[in-house]
Amino acid sequence: MANTDDKKIRDADFTSLSGRPLQPLYTAEDLAALDLDAVVGVPGEYPYTRGVHPSMYRGKLWTMRQFSGMGTPEQTNARYKFLLEKGQTGLSVAFDNPTLYGRDSDHPLSAGEVGKTGVAVDTMADMERLFHEIPLGCVSTSMTINAPAAWIFTMFLANAEKQGVAFADLRGTLQNDILKEYIAQKEWIFPPEPHLRLITDLMAFCADRVPQWNTISISGYHIREAGSTAAQELAFTLADGFEYVERAVAAGMDIDDFAPRLSFFFNAHMDFFEEIAKMRAARRIWARRMKDKYKARSPRSWLCRFHVQTAGCSLTAQQPELNVVRTALEALSGVLGGCQSLHTNSMDEALALPSEKAVEIALRTQQIIAFESGVPHVIDPLGGSYYVEKLTSELEEEAERYFRKIDELGGVVPAIEQGFFQREITRAAYEYQMALSKRRKTIVGVNEFKNAGETLEIPILEIDESVERDQIRGLLEVKARRDNGAVRARLEALTKAAATTENLMPHLLECARVYATLGEISDALTTVFGEYQEQPFY
Amino acid sequence: MASPKIKVIIAKPGLDGHDRGAKVVARALVEAGMEVVYLGLRQTPEAIVHAAVEEDADVIGLSILSGAHMTNFRKVKELMDAAGIGDRLLTGGGIIPTKDQAQLSGLGVGKLFGPGDDLQAIIAYIQDWHHSHSSA
Amino acid sequence: MKSKINAGRASLSPELWDNFFKGSRLACACLITQVENYPALLPEIRDRLIPRLRGAVRIGITGPPGVGKSTVTALLARRAVKAGRKVGIIAVDPSSPFSGGAFLGDRVRMQGLIGDPNVFIRSQASRDGHGGLSPTTPAVADVFDAFGLDRILIETVGVGQAELDVMNSADLVVLVLQPGTGDVIQALKAGIIEVADLVLVNKADMPGVDGLLDALKFLFDMSAKPKAKPVPPVLSASALQDQGLDEVYAALERLIEGHARSGLLREKKRARIEDEIKTAIQRDLWDKFQTAAGTGADIASAAERLVDDGGSPYPYIRGLGARIHLEFQPEGSHGKYGR
Repeated sequence: MANTDDKKIRDADFTSLSGRPLQPLYTAEDLAALDLDAVVGVPGEYPYTRGVHPSMYRGKLWTMRQFSGMGTPEQTNARYKFLLEKGQTGLSVAFDNPTLYGRDSDHPLSAGEVGKTGVAVDTMADMERLFHEIPLGCVSTSMTINAPAAWIFTMFLANAEKQGVAFADLRGTLQNDILKEYIAQKEWIFPPEPHLRLITDLMAFCADRVPQWNTISISGYHIREAGSTAAQELAFTLADGFEYVERAVAAGMDIDDFAPRLSFFFNAHMDFFEEIAKMRAARRIWARRMKDKYKARSPRSWLCRFHVQTAGCSLTAQQPELNVVRTALEALSGVLGGCQSLHTNSMDEALALPSEKAVEIALRTQQIIAFESGVPHVIDPLGGSYYVEKLTSELEEEAERYFRKIDELGGVVPAIEQGFFQREITRAAYEYQMALSKRRKTIVGVNEFKNAGETLEIPILEIDESVERDQIRGLLEVKARRDNGAVRARLEALTKAAATTENLMPHLLECARVYATLGEISDALTTVFGEYQEQPFY
Repeated sequence: MASPKIKVIIAKPGLDGHDRGAKVVARALVEAGMEVVYLGLRQTPEAIVHAAVEEDADVIGLSILSGAHMTNFRKVKELMDAAGIGDRLLTGGGIIPTKDQAQLSGLGVGKLFGPGDDLQAIIAYIQDWHHSHSSA
Repeated sequence: MKSKINAGRASLSPELWDNFFKGSRLACACLITQVENYPALLPEIRDRLIPRLRGAVRIGITGPPGVGKSTVTALLARRAVKAGRKVGIIAVDPSSPFSGGAFLGDRVRMQGLIGDPNVFIRSQASRDGHGGLSPTTPAVADVFDAFGLDRILIETVGVGQAELDVMNSADLVVLVLQPGTGDVIQALKAGIIEVADLVLVNKADMPGVDGLLDALKFLFDMSAKPKAKPVPPVLSASALQDQGLDEVYAALERLIEGHARSGLLREKKRARIEDEIKTAIQRDLWDKFQTAAGTGADIASAAERLVDDGGSPYPYIRGLGARIHLEFQPEGSHGKYGR
């Protein structure tokens, strides 16, 4: 290796955050085996390594979309208005735990959890309150919801209807990625097959009636948060994506009718260049498979469009102001990675939901990158870097190895049932934790550069216990006012249809319109689909 | 004679599926020589205490990141007292503000751990507690 | 009631026994802990338990890792409860040879039994045991028996080695296999197939199940030795879908009945008692030998010498043996075996 002084090397760990060994220097030699024109190419053209659009941020900046939700719909509505006023360009809804699991706020297991980690939504009435005075035809809305995504979505649709917005004008995204739930986040209701059926039903419904809607946000963020490496995040996410494509095609849909509306969601963690390379590799892998293996004809089907969130698990409770710096670096990697939409974490999120001040700083971080740093002026500025292109290829190779392994196991669902993903992730998480314990990896303020006797000095958001009471009271009022006969009839029709292969979306929409509750719908479907019991793996 | 093994129950009560921490702590305790019964997700306080009785556990460790810690710790402590195992260690971790930790400590809950706490500190805490609570 | 923490000394209080025989689950759990942690107490505990044993049937569930033993155990337990039985489950997981700790993850797969008052689940680490069980598993089974549980399911570590422990401590052994993993060969090598009273091929929805069933049938046809033991039934099931377990449970109950009638259960129990006596005497003799001869360190240094000299240990052994003089006192006199 020319010119590197190897006499004095620091005693430090020179591997990436994921444990990848790194050379001190990368040169043209490292790229000699690659056909750069074919592999790197041009932005907006196959294989899209350099970006999904020809003009990227010159044409349109990424959407600044802060994931947000707390307490009652009114409180969250206020936060949305605050964020829009501060310059965010898209909405993103965070729901509370009971809602994520398809349960009503008054369910016994919801006690203590209502409104604590997001907004509580029980009926369409809550959607009305949540989006009060927010014109849904004018701003795109992302909803992070998985197991009950289909009926939360129909509540959203029913509310849009009431606002007078045509379905065809609605823009947004549903996370709706059940496969990663079994792998990482664990928010399921039914076993895999019924959930997958609901997903393909929704995809078909939207292709027809809500054509601008992104039906799935195929997620790697949570897999990474659970402790996976970058390569695992990349591979497992794309593998899930392939599975959804295969399911939809098997359900009779034309690939070009639904594939353009599949989107992705990646984590932006602290290892700056590894994250950028991961995102570039994702675009290339997806484009290749969609074109060559799945024979999608429309280039719009080959695009891996994605949202990025900076890594929650990198935030510290110690010296929390430092999280502003971490988030800034991570956000920058998301931008250099070419994301379409970005959420930046707030500095207090290792402790609580974000305060107004903290989320403002997080949003301003994006604005500084967008308007002060000059980074968006040039498309894929790191393209051609020896290091970044080499890393991109390495990650692609690692992902391909994982795809082969998953195929050997029989596919994504069998691999889930055999605990393959879960074991890989748990092992990676443990190894990282051990590296921290041994100080081979550092977290400033936590295992190095600690401040003795530190006390918390920033004000944090508290969710009052009255939220639960108020939400339950509101729920009971809605149940008293609505036409309960109609609700019963719609739920019965839904239950009957669930046992057939009928598309359930129209039934779910009917249920939403008459103010059936989230829990009532979940329960009705559970009688047909059953409840999933995890076989845990370590 | 070797000192008896410390028996620990690790569980996640309520609706929170983020089990990275629980699994990592469980494994660390095993590597420190403890016998760990991992109960996993979506456990009710009743199920947790029921298992603790059957396993004659020395320690119950709860992982809660959902903000429902006051409800869950309180309930588990109540049930432990009622079942006759109120003198065992109830500890845990997750996202629990210092103010709430102080309140829980007043109810008899042990030290709680959060983001950034070293695994060695958790192990040492449990070992010290066990040592000082088993009169030889 | 004194919890085990406060009664940290190795002793059993009258309160504990009282509560135990009154049916306190906590007392049962505490007693099991005493059994696990204080081997010196075992004779005393056994003395009190044995008169109260009610003849619970011990069923060992063994097999390679990952075949679904826990799920099968839970489903069989549920059926036993439905049939009016009280069930104890001892789920054994391996202790780490390095740290001595253990990850006990079986009961998490038995969620369907949560809170059932007719089921008592206890996880055990294998500790010093080498045959898939803990050395104290048989004694724990006795605790369950005396507590009033009449079906005791013992789920072993199932590493696929010769599972002599389970053969000795269970009245019946269920071997669980799954298709597609070459387990038949493993099971053959381990000799476990000869030990099984019932073979269950789980995950019958997976490919390869027919092949496995055929292979097993062939195996048993070939090796039908003229023993008292009949050819074990071979069944298949899908535990995750809860399919086929009714037949397994029924077959088990039939076996239990049959073994009771034929005297096999009695023979097993007799063999266990004999084994316990032999093991206890061996341990006792060794302890006394150690104390009398102070030989622990002596043997260690002899080995140290021999590893360098390269000589045979037998002269040393014969020398030691020549110094042993065993006197067996007549019955009735206070001898070396009383307390």
